[in-house]
Amino acid sequence: MDPRLIRNFSVIAHIDHGKSTLADRFLEMTGALQAREMEAQVLDAMDLERERGITIKAHPVRLHYTAKNGGKYVLNLIDTPGHVDFSYEVTRSLAACEGALLLVDASQGVEAQTLANAYLAVENNLEIIPVINKIDLPSAQPEEARRQIHEIIGLPGESAILCSAKVGTGVIDILEAVVDRLPQPAGDPDAPLKALIFDSWYDPYRGVVIVVRVIDGMLKKGAKIRLMAEKQDYIAEQLGVFTPKAVPVEELGVGEVGFLVANVKKISDAKIGDTVTETNRSAIEAFPGFKELKPMVFAGLYPVEGHEYANLRDALEKLRLNDASFFYEPETSVALGFGFRCGFLGLLHMEIVQERLEREFNVDLITTAPGVLYRVTTTDGVVHEIDSPAKLPDTGRIATVEEPVITAMVLTPSEFVGSILQLCQDKRGVQKSLEYLAAARVLITYELPFNEVVLDFYDKLKTISRGYASLDYHVTGYWASPLVKLDILVNDDPVDALSIIVHRDMAYDRGRALAAKMRELIPRQMFEIAIQAAIGGRIIARESVKAMRKNVLAKCYGGDISRKRKLLEKQKEGKKRMKRVGRVEIPQEAFLAVLKMGTDTE
Amino acid sequence: MLGLYVHVPFCAAICNYCNFNRGLFDATVKGRYVAALVREIDGGAEPVRVGSLPDAADTIYFGGGTPSLLSPDDVSAVIQACRRRYAMADGAEITLEANPESITPGLLDGFRHAGVNRISFGVQSFRDDELKRLSRVHDSARAARALADARAAGFDNISLDLMMWLPGQQVDEWLESVDRAIAVAPDHVSLYMLEVYPNAPLRDEMARSAWSQAPDDDVAAMYVAGMERFEAAGFVQYEISNVAKPARRSQHNLKYWTDGEWQGFGCGAHSTRRGARWKNVSGTDDYIERMFGGRPPAIEKRCLTVDERLGDALFTGLRLNDGINVAVLNARYAADIWRRYGADLQPFVDLGLLEVTPDRWRLTRQGLLLAHEVMAVFV
Repeated sequence: MDPRLIRNFSVIAHIDHGKSTLADRFLEMTGALQAREMEAQVLDAMDLERERGITIKAHPVRLHYTAKNGGKYVLNLIDTPGHVDFSYEVTRSLAACEGALLLVDASQGVEAQTLANAYLAVENNLEIIPVINKIDLPSAQPEEARRQIHEIIGLPGESAILCSAKVGTGVIDILEAVVDRLPQPAGDPDAPLKALIFDSWYDPYRGVVIVVRVIDGMLKKGAKIRLMAEKQDYIAEQLGVFTPKAVPVEELGVGEVGFLVANVKKISDAKIGDTVTETNRSAIEAFPGFKELKPMVFAGLYPVEGHEYANLRDALEKLRLNDASFFYEPETSVALGFGFRCGFLGLLHMEIVQERLEREFNVDLITTAPGVLYRVTTTDGVVHEIDSPAKLPDTGRIATVEEPVITAMVLTPSEFVGSILQLCQDKRGVQKSLEYLAAARVLITYELPFNEVVLDFYDKLKTISRGYASLDYHVTGYWASPLVKLDILVNDDPVDALSIIVHRDMAYDRGRALAAKMRELIPRQMFEIAIQAAIGGRIIARESVKAMRKNVLAKCYGGDISRKRKLLEKQKEGKKRMKRVGRVEIPQEAFLAVLKMGTDTE
Repeated sequence: MLGLYVHVPFCAAICNYCNFNRGLFDATVKGRYVAALVREIDGGAEPVRVGSLPDAADTIYFGGGTPSLLSPDDVSAVIQACRRRYAMADGAEITLEANPESITPGLLDGFRHAGVNRISFGVQSFRDDELKRLSRVHDSARAARALADARAAGFDNISLDLMMWLPGQQVDEWLESVDRAIAVAPDHVSLYMLEVYPNAPLRDEMARSAWSQAPDDDVAAMYVAGMERFEAAGFVQYEISNVAKPARRSQHNLKYWTDGEWQGFGCGAHSTRRGARWKNVSGTDDYIERMFGGRPPAIEKRCLTVDERLGDALFTGLRLNDGINVAVLNARYAADIWRRYGADLQPFVDLGLLEVTPDRWRLTRQGLLLAHEVMAVFV
């Protein structure tokens, strides 16, 4: 195909700014789907994605568009995940494009995520077309959005296209701008094949489906190909494009976007960011930017019922088939029995995995408090990566502990600056910069311990800014920190699954707050329950759940014994959802108490 | 022997906390309802076989609703039907639930002549502020007078219901009701805790008026202190919620707690006989239509498994202060109940909630307060 007639682009937008609706409109107006075939928001294929209104996986769609200049163009819309947990996938999707639409909600204005992704697009040398969406809303302020695009992002605001994806206004103008303003793919058709993998998934019938953008050369059906990072050879058995239905093709040339099926068995063998080349005429260098994805957030997942362990293992195995960025290994807890230590890209990723396990695989889970990957150097000079409080060596053996640090960008209306700075300080942050980008819009950049962000930073940020501040972050390194393990004892027995790693200076407050929260969450039982927080065997806080004194003694109506029985059954059912540790029944949510501490203590 | 239960679903006013099967009184409907009751009793779910003796029964219990809204003639017609259909034991206990405000000396005399020999008054509280919050029509003076009138009419078996954990009620206020109940000298008292159902109008009123219920520890104190005061006044606690003077235990209610049999009549009435359990349709009109249309009123009939019957016998039996008779249940259900439940019950024994001897299991007073925790073992 003639690269002059190809345009590859993605849409950068904050959650809820209307990306999926705009994509639907593109499909409809280019005839890719008849209106009656459309299920609202076709691109978000997973239920979870549709429910949460976020895109987790990137899906490319080929649109056939006859422009006003008469040219018949192929526009490849490459969707990008909209959450910070998946920022690496965003960079790979952007790398597959020449341009991007920067979608801004006319009433919400520019948000941190838009800004962060706009920066990414600029770094990837993408041509950016600003689009102001939702101009049909009464609260729309397109001129203010224009000003923010200019002042905050630094793009010419007057070039922004006004549109309402919902009612269809301006959508053709956008397609025309994609044709006119975005560059055509530049690549050497005669060079050895170089195709960027920017998505892949597991299909039970075809194996791994790999989505590529051809940079140089030609990918031909039947060719012997090599995945450069894994150095594995395959045969390109099927090629195709998504219209959005899968349509087979014989070849994919420079600038084209499509899928490749090559009998790849495991999704971890076709890594996002890897390069496909020919075995016999290899590219000298892979496409730059490939990274091995590493999980950043770790938590224990345990079945509520011990005998569900095998089910949980099977479910994790199946999930992993489709999600190479998620990691798990068996772990044993004294309190919770057999389970798994799991690693995730971030908190959202963790929630998604948890929800899928419970929803699709029907496993009742106990999740322990999420933590990050610490780097501990022991006195013998060995460096250990610690993904669980239980693995922290004895204090005497520790030389140094380092914790991961993020660079966080917070974009906020200026009235909240004071309280946000206070929050960042409380979370042990180091201020990097503070810029007034436009009237009343401030960009605050901080280095923060990742652990603090994993705990409750985001919730607190949203609370103190009444939802207006937005956050984007990247892990940027490690720093040394005096970290200690905080243990929780229930009736004098330490409950390993409740231990957390905290900064020494905050351990006392955290311990008190955590014990207090546990007291709230553990229901009264037939005996008094002592809850203690301890650091290295020293008790720093004590709370108690008093013994329960009564059940309700109500009248039995006319010999209705069945009703009494139902009441008892209901009571028993309630207990099943709790985990028995020693004599004490601990409810599921208590294991995540550390995430909810802020709610009452402040 | 069988106990007979007769449901009367009419009330002069609907209380804001009640979720029993009841509706507002309507004279026409009442007439048809009583006729339907008589028809059900006469017909019986299982007609008497020719040549066989009728089933023996030794209690009749008119529950509601407000059974005292029936006329003495209505009550008499129902009792007569029972006597026709069942072999009623001499001196059978015949109870009528009554609301203090609907009672007069004339009515009491009428009920007595109809055959009623036990009256149970829904007093609930002897504090007028509390009665008002419960939207009760009567006040404490009326309750005391109703009791005196019943005595004067010749009733020697009078019960009253009291409730603790009322909105805004403190321990001392509860004990004031207890003392006044003792002062009016009933023969039997039922003490319940108010349970505010999720959709009870009282719940909204509590929210609007900022009334709250006392903390659990206080309610436990109310229960224990209340029981102690009744005992000091010559009553004996024989069941989790009931105290009685000697020989004045409720024979009818005991059937529920001693793995007995009972047959219910009227809308929403429950029956348990020969290992089966069923209930009648709840709606008053539905019930009347069925009875006059020749269709059976019973729904949801099911035979219990032996396990269910044993479980029910155990958890209901533990409501009694005497507890359960191990040998009787072992024999009746061919089981070794300690072997089966002992391990699950041991923690309660260790905590002093349950006393176990080879002959009997019984809950202590603390155990009675936490009875549901123990009873859940059996379901």
